[in-house]
Formats: sequence, C-alpha cells, structure tokens
Amino acid sequence: MVDQLPNRGRETEMLNAMGMDSMEALFADIPADVRFQGPLPLPAPQSEEEILSDARRLLGANVAMGSRPSFLGAGLYRNYVPASVFQLVTRGEFLTAYTPYQPEVSQGMLQAMWEFQTLVSELVGLPIANLSLYDGSTAAAEALTCAVRVHTRKASQPNTVYVSSLTPPDKLSVMHNYCQGAEIDLRMIEHDDDGTIDMASLAEAAGSCGVYLEQPNPLGILDEKLTAVKEIIGENTALIVGVQPVSLGVVEAPGHYGADIVVGEGQPLGSPVTGGGPLYGIFACTQPYLRLMPGRIVGRSVDVDGKEAYCLTLSTREQHIRRHRATSNICTNETLIALMGAMHMALLGPDGLRDLAHRNMLACQKTKEILEQTPGVTIVHSAPHFNEFAIEVNGSAAECLSYLDANGIIGGFDLSRWYPQMSNRILVTSTDQTTLRDIESLSAQLSMWSTHQGVSA
Amino acid sequence: MSHLFDHHGAENTGYSQPPGLKCDSAPVVPSGLQRRAAARWPRLSEPEMVRHYTWLSKRNFGIDTGFYPLGSCTMKHNPRVNEVIAQLPGIADIHPHQPESHLQGLISIYYEMQHMLEICAGMDQVTLQPVAGAQGEFTAVRCIQEYFRLRGESQRTKVIVPDSAHGTNPASAAMAGFEIVEIPSREDGRIDLDALAAVADETTAAMMITNPNALGLFEADIKAASEIVHQAGGQMYYDGANFNAILGITSPGLMGFDAVHFNLHKTFSQPHGGGGPGSGPIGVKAHLAPFLPGPLAARREPEAGEVDQTVDEHWYHWHQPEHSIGKVQQWHGNAGAVIRCWAYYRRYGHGLRDMSEHAVLNANYLRHAIHKAAEEAEVAHLFVDGAETEVAKHEFTLSMQPAKDALGISAMDVAKGLLDRGYMAPTVYFPLVVPECMMIEPTETESKDTLDTFARHFAQVLKTSPEALHEAPITTPVRRVDEVYAARNLCLRHPFDEA
Repeated sequence: MVDQLPNRGRETEMLNAMGMDSMEALFADIPADVRFQGPLPLPAPQSEEEILSDARRLLGANVAMGSRPSFLGAGLYRNYVPASVFQLVTRGEFLTAYTPYQPEVSQGMLQAMWEFQTLVSELVGLPIANLSLYDGSTAAAEALTCAVRVHTRKASQPNTVYVSSLTPPDKLSVMHNYCQGAEIDLRMIEHDDDGTIDMASLAEAAGSCGVYLEQPNPLGILDEKLTAVKEIIGENTALIVGVQPVSLGVVEAPGHYGADIVVGEGQPLGSPVTGGGPLYGIFACTQPYLRLMPGRIVGRSVDVDGKEAYCLTLSTREQHIRRHRATSNICTNETLIALMGAMHMALLGPDGLRDLAHRNMLACQKTKEILEQTPGVTIVHSAPHFNEFAIEVNGSAAECLSYLDANGIIGGFDLSRWYPQMSNRILVTSTDQTTLRDIESLSAQLSMWSTHQGVSA
Repeated sequence: MSHLFDHHGAENTGYSQPPGLKCDSAPVVPSGLQRRAAARWPRLSEPEMVRHYTWLSKRNFGIDTGFYPLGSCTMKHNPRVNEVIAQLPGIADIHPHQPESHLQGLISIYYEMQHMLEICAGMDQVTLQPVAGAQGEFTAVRCIQEYFRLRGESQRTKVIVPDSAHGTNPASAAMAGFEIVEIPSREDGRIDLDALAAVADETTAAMMITNPNALGLFEADIKAASEIVHQAGGQMYYDGANFNAILGITSPGLMGFDAVHFNLHKTFSQPHGGGGPGSGPIGVKAHLAPFLPGPLAARREPEAGEVDQTVDEHWYHWHQPEHSIGKVQQWHGNAGAVIRCWAYYRRYGHGLRDMSEHAVLNANYLRHAIHKAAEEAEVAHLFVDGAETEVAKHEFTLSMQPAKDALGISAMDVAKGLLDRGYMAPTVYFPLVVPECMMIEPTETESKDTLDTFARHFAQVLKTSPEALHEAPITTPVRRVDEVYAARNLCLRHPFDEA
C-alpha cells in the first residue's frame, strides 16, 4: 500500500510543519455524530501481484466470446482492433490527462479530437460532429431532445418525436428517461412484415420534431426506404439516423440522403465490446442544430503569435457555464475511447474501412448461405443485411440457445427479449472475426437441435 | 506540425486485412443505398500513424507528465496494473447479453463493488449502471422523482442547490424536469441554514449538495440541513465529487443523505482519459432502492447444475428492481471502468481511510507551504484564502483578487505562469463565489517534495512582473489560445479544399 502513498512515514513531519500533532487534527471540523466508528469492514489490502492473480481467476471464469464460436451482437460487435491502437492509447499523456481546460498544454488531445470530429463528419456525411457522448443509446436520446429544442416552436406536433418500433427496449428506455423531463411525447413508427419501414405509419410523423430510425435496423436489415423519409417528414422535422459506423464503408452516409442528425454506437471502430462499456456515442449534425447540440466540441483557432492552435469552443451550451439551462448535463464523456476510434479510423483509411465493411458483409452473407441450407432453420427476412439477421427455429429460441451453449456455441440473441411475440427467433450476428468453421459448427448444432426437437415433438 | 489530413498515401495501400469469407453469391447493398463517395479519410501507413499520435501525445499534459492539481477533479496516480487487468479477455471480450453462467466473474466483481460502495457511503443499495458522475446525478434525481410519483407527491417539482454547486447538479435536475432553486452560501462559504429553511417546503423534491463543499470545507451543519429538508418531506442528495476527502472517516449515510453518486474515476482512479470514460454509480437508502436502474448484481446459493461454474460459494445473477426507472445507458454501465476501480479498491481494502487521510494531509500541507513560500518571497499580500478555515479537506481555494487589484495579475495569469514551470494549472474561476478563484487539489499520490517545490514555484510566479506574466505561457507547445477567435471563426473540422 505504501507504493500508492509517497508520504507514508512522513505524516508527523508534515503535520508538525503545520503546527499539528496528529492526523485527527485535520478532521477536527467533522462532528463526532457523523463519524465512522472503527475501521471499515472490508478485507485487508492486497499487493499488485495478488490483485492481478485474483483478477485473472475471476475474469478467467467469464466466457470470452473469442474462446468459442460466437454469434452475439445486437448492437455491439466483435471486431479486430489493431495492436497500435492499444499501444498508443496507453501513453500516459493521453491516458492520465483530463478535459483540456488549459489548451496550451492540451494541444495533443484537442487536435486529436478535432481530427476525430472530421473523421466522423466525413464518415456520416454531415458537417459537424462532437467529441462523443456516452454510448449509442444516450447519443440517440440526446438527439431527440436536441431535435425538440430546435423544432418544437414551429412544429404542428410540438414536443413530439417518432421512434422506430424496432428500437431495442433498453435503448428505448434510455430515450424515455432523457425525454420525460421535457415532457416529450415518444411515439412509434411501425414496420412491415418484411422488416422495413411502414410508410403509412411514417407519414404520421410529419410535423413532429424528429424521427429516429436505424440503418442497418435492429434486425440487421439495410432499408432503402430510409432514403425517402426526409422528403416525407419535411424540413421542420429532424431525421435522426442511428448507424453501425463500420457499415458506412459500403452503405451510403445518411447525411447524403437527408439526415439532419446521425448518431451511433462508435464501439466497432476502435474498441472491444468490454462488457458493454466504456463505449462512445457518435453525434453529428447539420448547422441548424449546432448551438443547441449536446456535448463538447473542439475548434481550430490561433494563439497570440498567430500559430495554429485548438481549444474547446461553444462552451456556452454547457453545464459549467449555462447550469440548468445547459443543452445537456454531460461533463465527463468518452474521450479516450473516441481517441481509440480516431486511431482505428486513421489506420484504416477509406479503403481499409470499405474492406472492413465488405468483410463484415461477407461473413453475414456466408452465415446466411449456410443457415439457409440448415434443416429446421428459416431466414426470416429476405432483405439485404449487414452483420446480422433473424432466423426462426422450430421451437423456443431460449431453449435453442441453451442447447447451443451446452455445445460450446454462443448462438446469438433471443429476439423475444426485445419483441415478446418473436419467441422462436434468434438474431444471428457475424463480423470480420467470424470464421467458416464457426458457421459450420453453428449450422451443425442447429441441425442437431432441430432433429432433437423433431424427435421430442 | 503533424496533420492527420496531410497524409495522402496511394489508394488501396495501407492497413492490411485478411480476405473475407468466400460466398456463393456476392452480398449486395441495395443500389439506392450504396456509398457513392468515400469518406475523405487520410491514408497512412502504420509507422506514420504511430508517429502522428506519438507526436500528439507529446503535446499533451497528463498526471504522468507532472503535478496536476486540478481542483475538484482528483487527479491521482493511475496504477498501471489496472490497465493490464482491463485488457484481459474476461472483460475486454465479453458481451453484456451473454448468459449469467458466462459472466460469474464479472457479476461477482459487480457484487463486491456494490457492497464496498454501500459500506463506504452508508447506503443500502448501489447500482453501477450510470457511466459518469453527471449521469449518476441524473439517475438519482430520476429515482427520487419516481419515488414521489408513486407516493402521490407529484407536486414536489423543485430541487435546491447551493450557489457553489457544480454546474452538473442544476443541469441534471433540470434534465429530469425539476425546477431549480439556488440558495446563497454564507459569507464563510458554508451552507446558510436560514436560506435553506426559507425555501424548503412541500414542493421540495430534493436538495443536492456536496460535502466537503466546492470550497473544500466540511459542512459541519450538514445534519441540521438534512433535518430541514427531511422535515419538509424532501430527499437529500450527496454529490460524491469530493468523496476522496472523507472515505472511512464519515459517510453520506451518517450525514443523513438518502442518495449519493460516486465518481469512480476520481476516488477510485479510473484514468480520466482526456475527458472520460468515467463511471458514476449511485447508492441509495432502502426506500429508493426499488427505483434504481438495473441490472444489479445479486447472489444466492448455487443450484445443482451451477456448482462447477461458480467463482466462490455463491451463484451471482442479475436483478431488476421492482419499480426501476429503466435504463440510463443501454448495457451494464462502464464495466471496464468498474474493473479498474475494483483493482484500485483491492489495493487499499479496509485501509481506504489512509487514502483520504493522505489526501487531506497533502491539501492542508500544500496550503500551508504556499502561504509560507509566499511569505518568504514577500508575495503573501497578493492572495487570500478563498474561505476562512482552520483546516481544509482534500482541496482548498485561493483568491487572487489582491494581485488583480494591486498588479493586474489575474487567476488566469497565475495559471499560465504555472504551465511555464511544468505544472498543470489548478482549476480557475470555480467556484464562482470566490473572486479570481484558484482551486487546488493535490491528491494523496503527490510527495512532500513535489508539494514543497510547487509552493516555491507558485510564489515565484507571483514574483514575476505583471507584463511578463501576461505573456505566459512561453514554453508550451502553443501560447495563449484565442478562444474568442475560435468561437467567432468556427472551424470544427478539417476544411479540405473548401477553404
């Protein structure tokens, strides 16, 4: 424990210098009736070696996805993050800095984030990007409240936003929590049986403050109808598109088909899945949203000598200045994970991103081709997919996944956890990390399970 | 200068990837959805990319670079073993939707962290879901809101905050839909009980306050304040930003609070990463526990088929509180940050009190050393304590107003002068109640020698001629940055050829 406290053993010397004779004197201002009695009922301190050993034991008891065929995605995607990203991000100058309040000694992170803003802006096809929100769900939720701030005064459906009914319930729940304070009415846009947008349902969103749809959608479907949405909802309703950023290597940038705000889970670029956090939320928008958007943003400026320099800007939107009138309460965001994203993007370049997106599509396609031939398995939607698609099995999805688990396969996501009516459906995710052998194992075990079901039925 | 967007390598070179899987038919993006123009990203080889980011890192100041006394941010050393642990596949390569049988290690660590934080805070139930301090605040006031709605007390629409509160407090409460009532602090920087009593009534949902407060002072009247709010039927919310001062000495529970958030990245040393990630768990008393966002970690006796998968004598599982407000982040919180903070906590165990004692020792010692060095350098008249007090807690404030009046030297000038001497500057102009404020928090991980040297340098800065100090910094990668220019000539991305 001494290794963390450089002044252990020098307490008396320091106290005496201040004219004090005990540590207790430093706490004389804390009344007795609020004091802890005795030591904290916690275990003894450990050395670094002991902690590492315990960590290896406990975390070793978790099942890492890479240890077996894994088809679980549903919003987080296993990918390969290049070694240089991990090496560089642990440089202490990045790792142990904080928010760049003193720009003169924070140019490195400020410039890196300004470059991140440019990389994201180019990726999604919108002129402005902030330097991250917590994750894809909070980025989507903040986009909804931002859209209301911008549009509610002119909207024929004020304080109302429309969200895809396919939005995963946990994400929807985040949206509800963020929207309820401003009494925003959250309504649903329905989908046709083929998994694409129900355009009649969408038409009802015209005149509202914003529409949130995902591309690919939560069932992995690439929905061409989304390109027609902006024209239907009109200028005064924000089109907010949630993206899987890797897909944008081959799929059109939403900014090029009318999106006003693009959000998304940045994780597939730069970060492992990490148990669901820390991640980083992408947030990009057009000019009309700039001054009412959430989050930090870096601007390029000059120093007193006229030299190029970077600093945080438009801070008057933020809580430390605007307090209860701020556009968001966000302070600490996910800068370091966004930096990992920037490093990964920089290393990929436009060709690398296209190749990565293509590999993800090939893996998904190959999985589909093999599962199409697998007895007892039906591909639910014939649409084009990115990363994932729904299958139907001849029995309970939960039981099927348990069977696969017992046979060493993480088979996917039980869609009844999102959509209770889909009790026989599994969302099967493939990424650049999926191998042919993984897919063949999945197919073989699904086939076994179907046969087994047939026997027991 | 190294510019990312100046790199234009040849097309189809660079980062190599294995070929994709061979398919019978090529996957198709619908024609109307095919990307037409690629993102104008740069093309770099790995050596160029590594050099660019290494160059950037050298233009950035972190705790590893030097003393970082940024008040209110608790910039303590970040042990490196925590980074090693966070890269293990058992945390880096797990998915929150995996079955509980796959996550016994993770859930057990969540359970251990909840339990530890409950003990330290004197709370009945902790959730690790919120991913930053501000999100913890928001989560807690949402729980309080739902608690009152369920009790039929929806008229409680106001949240009281002291004028010295962090901006996130009023921002978080406003985001949840509350009206903010700000009360002035007393002359001595402490809470004004009369002002509190005057506003606490049947419309009060909660009071949000930190203790020690933003001036680094312990609010000795905190129990009386809690009683006033409770008598009015409101809830007491503890902002854990300053938890590093009191761990093992007192707790929010003992002070009468109903809810608290922790900044794990401050108190438990998740690296601040240039602005995150953080982790902002909250703890509550039993009456608020049913409203927490889940999942919470819980445990029970293992069943027959589970025994061979357990990490100890328990089976760990997720649990959803009965009246949960729902989710504030889509997954299970910042698991990677929780793991690092777990490793940090294990380093101290029941000795966490030593950490806080040394944090307070260092702050008081530095305050003393600065005054002493200033007297020796005959600059003691150029600043005063931001608040009169015998002892500070983990941080303290100085007002540079005398220097401003006498010589035209502002707190910002002093901050820039410190940058030239190889330090990160303290927090400046916060809290707003102290004119020309410098807020200094050394943390427990700085040695006496560092504190002594910093104190001497601080005095030297005040010895500098005002003209020279207005020019500072001169040794940094860039000199004073024109923030007004940045706001008036917005350039938020690389201009490409458009400029």
